[in-house]
Amino acid sequence: MIPAHLIPTPDALQVPWGWFQILLSITFLLHLLVMNIMLGWAIIACINHALKESSPAESQLISQKLPFTIAFAVNFGVAPLLFLQVLYGHFMYTSSVLMAVFWLSIVALLILAYYAAYIYNLQFARMPGLHTLLTTVIALFLLTIAFFFTNNMSLMVSPESWVRYFDHPNGLLLNFGDPTLLPRYLHSVFASVAVGGLALGLYHDWQRRGGNTAAAAHIPSAMNWFSYATICNFGIGTWYYGGLPTSIRSVTGAAGAFLLGFLLAGIGAAILSLIYGLQYRVRHAAGAVLGAIICMVTVRELVRRQTLAPWFSTSDLEVVPQYSPMILFLLLFAAGLYLIWWMIKLVLPADKEVQS
Amino acid sequence: MNYPVWQLDAFGGGLLIALIAIVHVYVSHFAVGGGLFLVLTEMKGLREGSSEILAYTHKHAKFFLLLTMVFGGMTGVGIWFTIALLSPAATSSLIHTFVFGWAMEWVFFLAEIVSLLFYYYTFDRLEPKKHLLLGWIYFGCAWMSLFLINGIIDFMLTPGSWLTDNNFWSGFFNPTFWPALFFRTFMALMIAGLFGFLTSVNIKETTVRHTLVRYCGMWLLPPLILLLGSALWYKTALPLPQQEMIFSRAPEMKPFLTLFIWLSPLIFAGGLTMAILRPQAVRKPLAWLLLLLGFLYLGSFEFIREGGRRPYIIHDYMYSTSIKKADMGQIQKTGVLASARWVKNKTITAENRMDAGKKLFTLLCMPCHSAGGPLNDILPLARRFSPTGMRSFLATMGTANPYMPPFAGTVEEQGILADYLTTRLVPGIVSNMVKISKESIKPALFDQETAEYLILASSDKGMVLSSEPEQSGIDFSFAPPTLQAQVIMRGETPSVLTNDIQVSYRIDTDQGPLLGKMIGADGTFETTLAKIPPIAKDFRPYLLAEIEAVKEGKVIATTRLKIGISNEIGCRNCHGGPWRQQGRTGLSRQTAADILAIHDKRSSTRLSQDFHAGKIVVCQNCHADSSQGAAGQPELLNLSAAMHGFHATYLYKENNSCTFCHANSAQGATGNMEDLHSTLGLECTNCHGALADHAMSLLKEKGETQKPGSARLLALLADKGEVAQDTIKGRMPWSMEPDCLTCHVGFQPPDSSTAFNTWSTGKKGLFVHRHGEEGALLCTSCHGSQHALYPADNAYSKEIGNLQPLQYQNSPYPLGADRGCAVCHTVEMEEELHHPGSLGTFRNRVE
Repeated sequence: MIPAHLIPTPDALQVPWGWFQILLSITFLLHLLVMNIMLGWAIIACINHALKESSPAESQLISQKLPFTIAFAVNFGVAPLLFLQVLYGHFMYTSSVLMAVFWLSIVALLILAYYAAYIYNLQFARMPGLHTLLTTVIALFLLTIAFFFTNNMSLMVSPESWVRYFDHPNGLLLNFGDPTLLPRYLHSVFASVAVGGLALGLYHDWQRRGGNTAAAAHIPSAMNWFSYATICNFGIGTWYYGGLPTSIRSVTGAAGAFLLGFLLAGIGAAILSLIYGLQYRVRHAAGAVLGAIICMVTVRELVRRQTLAPWFSTSDLEVVPQYSPMILFLLLFAAGLYLIWWMIKLVLPADKEVQS
Repeated sequence: MNYPVWQLDAFGGGLLIALIAIVHVYVSHFAVGGGLFLVLTEMKGLREGSSEILAYTHKHAKFFLLLTMVFGGMTGVGIWFTIALLSPAATSSLIHTFVFGWAMEWVFFLAEIVSLLFYYYTFDRLEPKKHLLLGWIYFGCAWMSLFLINGIIDFMLTPGSWLTDNNFWSGFFNPTFWPALFFRTFMALMIAGLFGFLTSVNIKETTVRHTLVRYCGMWLLPPLILLLGSALWYKTALPLPQQEMIFSRAPEMKPFLTLFIWLSPLIFAGGLTMAILRPQAVRKPLAWLLLLLGFLYLGSFEFIREGGRRPYIIHDYMYSTSIKKADMGQIQKTGVLASARWVKNKTITAENRMDAGKKLFTLLCMPCHSAGGPLNDILPLARRFSPTGMRSFLATMGTANPYMPPFAGTVEEQGILADYLTTRLVPGIVSNMVKISKESIKPALFDQETAEYLILASSDKGMVLSSEPEQSGIDFSFAPPTLQAQVIMRGETPSVLTNDIQVSYRIDTDQGPLLGKMIGADGTFETTLAKIPPIAKDFRPYLLAEIEAVKEGKVIATTRLKIGISNEIGCRNCHGGPWRQQGRTGLSRQTAADILAIHDKRSSTRLSQDFHAGKIVVCQNCHADSSQGAAGQPELLNLSAAMHGFHATYLYKENNSCTFCHANSAQGATGNMEDLHSTLGLECTNCHGALADHAMSLLKEKGETQKPGSARLLALLADKGEVAQDTIKGRMPWSMEPDCLTCHVGFQPPDSSTAFNTWSTGKKGLFVHRHGEEGALLCTSCHGSQHALYPADNAYSKEIGNLQPLQYQNSPYPLGADRGCAVCHTVEMEEELHHPGSLGTFRNRVE
């Protein structure tokens, strides 16, 4: 069985693929940031409760905000998943079917984690004895979801492993044959802890700048989460890179230059963010991390393109032009962002009132 | 054909999507209607200065947030995941067609989350006007989500002009967009009322509770009336094929339609009761009950809507098997296995035949059926078929079974899948070769030297089929046999006698002898039995009658007559159930129950009810049968036209399709058809036409063509026959039959072997009433009964089919064959008085 014969025929696009690639990258970046905060906070809260080392304020802060991060992580996940399906649906639907049981279980795990997060939120003061259990459940479920996502993203670009379906058509395949699977997953998990810590740091920094002097005391602990997770990630990142096929690592020409350029820039930005992190310079670290994440998101896309290059290129996709729906979407997207900004302004006084 | 299929077995058949989709749809409608409920209830609280109402609104908002945002939001993603796993090709089509529609919906989803979180968390903390504004923004965004999703969902049901122009807007604003939008909006408001009941019944303060429960009633009742109005609009807006699929062609829809219709007044009455009755003991459980009824209400609607798409997943574009309509023809030519990507064995060999069957099952059946699950379980369906029955069923998918897609593969793949389904997946109906024990039967005595008289007897039908109503509970048997006899006085010029002669018969059955006299007139004695005599317990497809002629008190002639009767009716090939008698013949009640259940489902009858109450369902009560003098109901097809017309749309196009139902299969309990023509290799179809042609001839009879069923069945049969439909001449069953002289022109050996489409006219034109050219002897007296002509080859006995030729001339050939005039004549005959060729040597010799 030749894997190429298994790759489904894709459907036509309405606008050239570049539009979808831009939308995919932007919305994925948004999703990644919020998802990292969500997962990172869940892990941090879990470890804090388990080790009984947390300051109650930090855990309480996480308990208050965790449900929101889940809501927005899911919401911001919808758009990139949509645009990913437009460009790579014929790969992703296939890999999803191959690991269908795990893939569908994400929904159940997410609902349970989400409700657990609300119980943690609403019953924080009343049920201190359940904190460890709840945060363990939330963290484990979210980590499992992340593992399944990593698997799917790996499986979708591995048509050579799809033939296993013929012996296992029950949707129970994972892609353990991919040497990058584990480092890729761990890279995301440690990045989440780092970004989660950084987000806590940013919050405390914002509070401090708003006049809450007590908040400053929390910054070092938050930034330590960031820094140590980032240090670990240098090692994991190297492991990940080493696991990539030689054909990807040694790619030449413009693609190779782009890949190498963004990778080096990302590493550089990460090193910078670590330096700032160790110095507890929160906003500087955040700026550098944002740069590193943008670079790494781009590297991720380039690696995917290179991995699929023997089989497919998005430029192969047929285009049957229809621009009006996209124009309306872009206008609506802008209006939606403005509406959200307007609502934030509307409620901000009330929020301040409460804080004071 | 493009994607792998997730093998779900028991969890297939739409179970996953039903579980996730219906709960999500219910909650997501609440997410829309409930948004308006929150704002207007808060306004009510503010207007009335009621802190209790405001407190209730705040509490309800928390419940709303936890249910709609967490469960509703996540199950929404769950539906997306699920459809992509179950129908990746259709999902890809929807995503690529409406990517920016989905993207716009995502923007509203985002704004919904932000506004709802702000609304809930700023309750009591923001000045009322601003707070209400957040509520209005939430409701507006939620309704816009509904607006967008509604366009895409209804596109699947009624894609409209998108099918030709592929334009986003044509697909989005499809023919049912607006009625569906109104319908869903009213449904959302109604559901807001149902959830409102649930929370308001728990308010502690009595007056506030009464006020708010009544207020919730207002959310339920007016929207319910408007919803019913928009449902009618929705129905009217449906194009004809979808309307027919929902309301007439897919019997599976009926329970959901009935549920929807009955739930409307029930929910209305429940809402009124909530508003009027105050005891908490009534209200609390009723609130939950109404919530459940609402769930069933919306669920039944969604089932109906999805059913309307059948057999497509995107109407008129992609079948539920994920095969595009445009590709179907090509796949039918090249085959499923050769066309599908995710198939390992592209070529079929004897070794991989069943693996290929399993693959076909996975690709073609699993998209809609489960194997052993609670929804659309294929196992009980497959269990009631024989391999050939299943093959016939598969061949008629898309036509006689319009709610299923046409079979996508080749004829070979059809056979493989049928075999897999009925021999591997389940033990279906397996027809083994029945072992027949031969018996020897002696003819009556006759002394050609001394006999003065002889008697020739026949039955008007070579084989009478009996459904044995007392045992099976269903009566569609042939008319009881009519016995005929002619008494001949031998001589130089033999006479056919009637006067002063009495002819009687005796039929020995397991339940005792049947005795009777035959009435003589114009040279023929005749009697029609009151009912079909009981078949022997040790089955054999005939009964033996002793016929006796008496003159002046003295027996002057006797003979023995075989009356062909069988209860081997092959309904179980497709309707399942066991044989009733000795494991090899007889219609069982189980089979009859299935026949009637399907009749009820397809024709909205209640025959099963009578059947299970112990009554015998007599088909001729509704479907006329001229052979039994049954007038039936004038608007319904006669029994023959209905039976053949309906089943011909299903049965696989083969010569032996007659043996599916009639008792003339060489493998069956009755054995092969014993008639001489059968021995010579002719089939039923030589005289009656291929099954579809035969059915069309019955449907095209003048009286039948006026009936509604005729046109529908003729349309389904149009391309199934071997003769152009417009050239087929209609005929009345039992009185217009194939004519022997069509082939035997001038009584000569035939030049043709096709008697189809030339029908006898009038009673005297029927073989059973026709006489020789001398005008005295019935054709049947010398040649035997139709379908059992001499020399007959009965599987049970060498003699039974030829008792009279053996009695009178000691050969199995027709009376007088081989110049055997001495049977009646006492002198050598020179003229062919009976018919040209009657003095010749019989052509078709047997061993």
